Amino acid sequence: MSPVGRRAERLAPYVLVAPAVLIIVLLRLWPLGLGVSFSFTGDGDRNGATVGLGNYAELIGDPLFRTALRNVGWLVVLLPVAVAIPGLLATFIHLRVPGHSFFRSVYFFPAVLSPVIVGAIFNLLLAFDGPLNTVLGGSGAGPVDWLGDPDVAIFTVVGAHIWATSGMALVVFLAGFATLDSALLDAARVDGASLARMIWHVIIPGLSRTIQFVVVTTMIGMLTSMFGLLYVMTSGGPEGSTYLPEYYIWVQQGQMSRPALASAASTVLFLVMLVVGLLQVGLLRRAGRED
Amino acid sequence: MSRLGPSRWLVVVPMGLLAMATVYPLLFTANVATKTRREYILDRFSLASTLRWDNLSTAWNSVGMGRYFLNSVIVVACAVALLLLIGSMAAFALAQVRFRGSSALALVCLTALFIPFQVIMVPLARIMAEGGLVDTYPGLVLAYVAQFLPFTVFLLTSYYRAVPTELVDAARIDGNTLYGVYRRIMLPMGAPALLSVGILDALFCWNDVLIALLMMPSAGHRTLMVGITSLRGQYSADIPTFAAGVLIAGLPVLVTYLFLQRQIADGVTAGATKG
Repeated sequence: MSPVGRRAERLAPYVLVAPAVLIIVLLRLWPLGLGVSFSFTGDGDRNGATVGLGNYAELIGDPLFRTALRNVGWLVVLLPVAVAIPGLLATFIHLRVPGHSFFRSVYFFPAVLSPVIVGAIFNLLLAFDGPLNTVLGGSGAGPVDWLGDPDVAIFTVVGAHIWATSGMALVVFLAGFATLDSALLDAARVDGASLARMIWHVIIPGLSRTIQFVVVTTMIGMLTSMFGLLYVMTSGGPEGSTYLPEYYIWVQQGQMSRPALASAASTVLFLVMLVVGLLQVGLLRRAGRED
Repeated sequence: MSRLGPSRWLVVVPMGLLAMATVYPLLFTANVATKTRREYILDRFSLASTLRWDNLSTAWNSVGMGRYFLNSVIVVACAVALLLLIGSMAAFALAQVRFRGSSALALVCLTALFIPFQVIMVPLARIMAEGGLVDTYPGLVLAYVAQFLPFTVFLLTSYYRAVPTELVDAARIDGNTLYGVYRRIMLPMGAPALLSVGILDALFCWNDVLIALLMMPSAGHRTLMVGITSLRGQYSADIPTFAAGVLIAGLPVLVTYLFLQRQIADGVTAGATKG
């Protein structure tokens, strides 16, 4: 090979990697740093001026942002449900319940639908004069204002999110089951172990890595992919009761023209995600060691 | 053979009900889309008296869903093609070639995987505005490429790692340059992985609403999902037309799912098991 050719060969891996690295650095990592520095500057008249922690103080004082953080608390509370449902379904499918491959296909399907479509469909079903309330009325129960009652709406939206995303976790659980030694399950059954004991003593310890992965990805999903549902189903209402940090960021950046305040909220969201992620990994590690 | 024993029927019934709860909302929407407004107001549940396509053609033509559909197809096709090209080039180099700084560059790609869009949305909008890219097709395509590139590189790298290095060495001894190896060996060998990752990227882009809202604010440039959200306000009294719009937006995904379910599931689980 000629010296020129050899030089070209040495450079080749860098040429191959360059477009990806450039895009990622310029449009992912650089904005992250930029956003954190925006968050210490002012909006409007004070655009560009340093305001220290002013934006963060405003966030803490803003009832809408406090509602958003309270709702994050609800997401954490509901997380075990969002993990247990696909986990249990995957267990039954793995244990070959009759029709298991049919169930697998059906349960997975909503996972490929856009939150916009899911939200639109649930809007139809859950409207105050919609079909679900018609059925409830027919059975004697009063209608529920699924999307109009501030105490109910956030749970309605989270429910739709779980309906839509369980399939993703289900498929991940099934992949985890594929690595589980089936002799263990068979032995447990021969010993006459009940399903509950089998889940507790064989499946949960055997799948600890998978469970850890699903817990973290489900939490991240709840924190970062409910925008479409909120936008379509409630627009943050009623009375701001369904705000989540991502929706708050969107509103402040767009409608309110408060990009610096939005950046501060973004930074808080990033910190919340880091803390939640590290905490969960830590807790699950400890639980895994005790077994 | 079921491993559940006789208790399995206790499980099948609730699972069947749940399956119905999963499918019913979609069937309900499809049924509403073929009803007249009058039929819907009189009875939410009845089947449409005759199979009618009026609502679908209204949604497609006069509501503008056809235009939005085309916008989505163009943007998604360009974004996925770029993602696969740029992603596979980087993944091949990171997985198969030893070069100085490769682990640092791999770390850069991996770190970006953990930055959600909401966290960088404000500064990204400003960068795009400064570059004159807001409300342009290239701008939205670039935003999608940036968003899903870390995931694409990550999955393709784990796939290319499994290709034996002897294959690359042999091809290079035969006189291929690194680019030749990429084009003649890695691209064809990686076809199943490219298909799997490409479908997922296409679904992500097709289903997105937040990035499209941010990057394509004007009405003529709406993607399909943004179009649906704008329908909601305009056609809130005309539920059947709204349902028809939803059906149009969901149908390509449904068809993709029916034919490529395995590839989609493979892509989802590859991220979990190889990570």
